[in-house]
Amino acid sequence: MSSRATDVFDALIIGGGTSGGVVAKHLSEAGMKVVVLEQGEWPDRDDLPGEKVEYEFLAAMKWWPNPNVRDNPADYPINIDDSDTEIWMYNGVGGSSVLWAGCWIRALPSDFRVRTLDGVCDDWPITYEDLLPFYQEVDHEIGAAVKPGNTAYPPDSRPAPMDAHPINPGGRKAAEGLNKLGWHWWPGHNGIPTQDYNNLKQCERLGVCRMGCPNNSKFSSDLTHFPIAIKHGARVVTGARVSEITLDENGRANGAKYFRNGRQRSIAASRVILACNGIGTPRLLLLSKSERFPNGLANSSGLVGKRLMTHPYGTAIGIYDDFLEDWLGPVGEMVQSLEFYETDTSRGFVRGAKWHIMATGGPMQSVGRMKVDMEWPDDFWGENFCKTMKEAIGHIIEWCIVPEDLPEETNCVSLDPDLKDTDGLPAVRVRYKLSANTQALLDFHLNKALELHRASGAKKAWINGRAFASGHNMGTAKMGDDSRTSVVNGFGQTHDVPNLYIVDGSVFTTSTGVNPTATICAIAKRTATHIADTALKDTTGVAHG
Amino acid sequence: MAEAADSVVDSQWRRRLAAFADTLVPGGAGLPSASAAGVHEAGIDRTLACRPDLRDLITSVIGVDAEPREALERLRAEQPGVFDRFAVTIAGIYFMNPDVRRLVGYPGDAPQRKRASPGEAEEYLKDGILDPVIERGPIYRTTPS
Repeated sequence: MSSRATDVFDALIIGGGTSGGVVAKHLSEAGMKVVVLEQGEWPDRDDLPGEKVEYEFLAAMKWWPNPNVRDNPADYPINIDDSDTEIWMYNGVGGSSVLWAGCWIRALPSDFRVRTLDGVCDDWPITYEDLLPFYQEVDHEIGAAVKPGNTAYPPDSRPAPMDAHPINPGGRKAAEGLNKLGWHWWPGHNGIPTQDYNNLKQCERLGVCRMGCPNNSKFSSDLTHFPIAIKHGARVVTGARVSEITLDENGRANGAKYFRNGRQRSIAASRVILACNGIGTPRLLLLSKSERFPNGLANSSGLVGKRLMTHPYGTAIGIYDDFLEDWLGPVGEMVQSLEFYETDTSRGFVRGAKWHIMATGGPMQSVGRMKVDMEWPDDFWGENFCKTMKEAIGHIIEWCIVPEDLPEETNCVSLDPDLKDTDGLPAVRVRYKLSANTQALLDFHLNKALELHRASGAKKAWINGRAFASGHNMGTAKMGDDSRTSVVNGFGQTHDVPNLYIVDGSVFTTSTGVNPTATICAIAKRTATHIADTALKDTTGVAHG
Repeated sequence: MAEAADSVVDSQWRRRLAAFADTLVPGGAGLPSASAAGVHEAGIDRTLACRPDLRDLITSVIGVDAEPREALERLRAEQPGVFDRFAVTIAGIYFMNPDVRRLVGYPGDAPQRKRASPGEAEEYLKDGILDPVIERGPIYRTTPS
């Protein structure tokens, strides 16, 4: 659809992904006139490869999370020449929720108070308790499957709508080892329903979550949120790549310019909500330079694009004699452990990580796991290949480590001087280097995971992944109370432009050591609630308070 | 498989691919070699039909003037990224063979639906395996308000 130039929307949401869906649903249900501009298209769910014979080859291109590999028209290039990790995302309605694994886990109370507790970084301007009602709300919007009573969290008065998935043989094996060591574990928290739930179907455990669920069994905002938003009048414009957020004479956001089908258009709104996550949001702010904002919109702090955090994953794999049916879904989490989540300075670093076991996917993925650190031709390719893979397939437990990387201004997103997208707009350059703290954290956790493999009875275990991409792109528009040291306040409202909001992972003050999707959704829900609650009182587009 | 039927994928190309694939996957432990699993025949046809972009990679690797083992050893030393993509591609084609999938334990030619049965989640926990965790009590750090 196209909007008439004379339309003035109550809310323009830029980015039709995970957080954009949460906000679009909430504001449209509240009666606001909402438009969403999304540079990609609706995902073609009939095209999802997960039940096809060639599924791994198909997933490795068109449905691959690295936009530089996928290279869809909606993808903008990302220069990672100076980055220790790839950058993953999906550009289209649903955003990265289309391809995420399904780990749906809250940040912990301590995550919001790292300065107070550990003397590092900054406290968030909000607390776990501030966010708790919104975590609960989005649990029920997305169909979270969580076993109540996790001892790593405070008691919760409103449980998730359904209990956890089976932990499967691999989770059971790991749990036995964890109990031997006396370490924390809990059945996985997943954004994947165990029964039919609203627009979602009961999980069929295909184990292909990361290439898009062909059974519509996983939280994806194109399934769970946008259809409801549209039903309540929201307009979703696809193929619409925003080039600039526009301002009125008073420096207030009044809409955007965007490209669609090669033509530049404009749209007017009384408030603008950015939902492009940790790479796309700073890109657009930096593109929206003006005389009033020569360093990029809402960038008086100079922090737009800086402090990128990505959770550079580590993995430790173990091969077991037991048949573990390791491909059995959902991919997200079979079990998790938060044993080493909190800071212990005797370890030589601060903060920690969550661990979880995921389903292994298909054989190509397992080949990818197995070949790392094994010498060819003696150990892997060649004579031993078949024996090695026969012993491995179905017998793998792989612990994924989600390390909390600390914010550093030298890790940043900027506009690339050379690369352009298909509309001729500057693409993105990412500089990201692992800090000494992150390296030490990964060393400790990966070696602890090997200790766990031994306790669990693995016949062989080794570290097979370090600093690989997570798709968690955070921190590039920091949330804080002080406009000199942050971009947005506790409600996602930019300090510089009061009717411009940011609702995605870029606002994270610190990265936490857990997967960010639940926190992104809770923050988006909280900001949307704040906007809707105050909108009726104020026609200026500014939510006060 | 129209994509694979053009002049590049001729019988010589297939024989060459088979030789390279067998160097990486010669068989054993009850599993066939890559060529016995049809990597250079139905496997490559099916792969190129869905991923025609892989043709150039494969052709560049198998087109060097050297014996397969020597060529692969050199490739691995000089261009490990290209070696990696080629080798994993061969393995991927190999594991698309339904007999190979069955022999390593996969339940079907592609991921299979296996909905959890009622009570299955509880079954894994029913012997009290979570009790030690619960008995240990809360482990979260309380935060000042």
